[in-house]
Amino acid sequence: MPTERELQINPIVPESVAHNTKTLTTLRNLTASLFGVGAGILGLESYPGFLFYVVFSLLTSALVYALRVRGAETKTYFRGSMELWTGGLLEGLSGFVLTWTLFYGLVRA
Amino acid sequence: MTWISQSVTGLGLLFLAHACYSAHEHSVLHSTSAASVSSIASQGIDTSTIASLPLDISIETVAAVFTVCLGLVLGTPGLRPIQWRVWAGKIEREGEKGFMNGDGTLDKDYIGNPFKVLESRPGFVDIRKQRKEFAEWVREGDSAATIPKN
Repeated sequence: MPTERELQINPIVPESVAHNTKTLTTLRNLTASLFGVGAGILGLESYPGFLFYVVFSLLTSALVYALRVRGAETKTYFRGSMELWTGGLLEGLSGFVLTWTLFYGLVRA
Repeated sequence: MTWISQSVTGLGLLFLAHACYSAHEHSVLHSTSAASVSSIASQGIDTSTIASLPLDISIETVAAVFTVCLGLVLGTPGLRPIQWRVWAGKIEREGEKGFMNGDGTLDKDYIGNPFKVLESRPGFVDIRKQRKEFAEWVREGDSAATIPKN
């Protein structure tokens, strides 16, 4: 975390932080439901399903990094690189499990 | 930009729906055939072979998920620099063009140049010119007021 002195020297724009966080959260929620659909169709159970979610979430982060950050430093858009790579991973988990179980039941009914 | 993301997402959803339908049909077909086989031969059937999906459906599902994901990422609005100096510099250089949505409208929370106050403040005021303009305005007002009376 930056100290107060560093924030005085290099101020941060709260509107931009909110905009970036909102963009990433929306994307995470949408894609989590989508990965649930995929995992349900594939019929994954137990740990492979969660592994599927983690792998595809990291893939989404990689796509954001490639298409939106575009080689610039992650610090330009986020307060830390963890915010891009692992932020919102747990928030999307509930949506993932929801659609995962739904589509697992639908396909194998 | 936005039509690319929408078409990619739509294509991915189409593939996903097809994969879902294929998986469903496969499970239905397999369960009925397995049931008939078990009723005829009553042999032990390996349950793992029933549960496993054909490789092409698996590949289609993964590809469809990736395609939809790509479309969604392409559809996200551009990120904004959070450091004040980078952000203000971007506004100075690009103006409103850097803060457009995908469909070409300006973002709602675009606040414009943060240094607008500095640029529009009065610098040195030419008080003599202003007095001259005021005097002319008064004279015009006088003549305009007096002419209709004549």
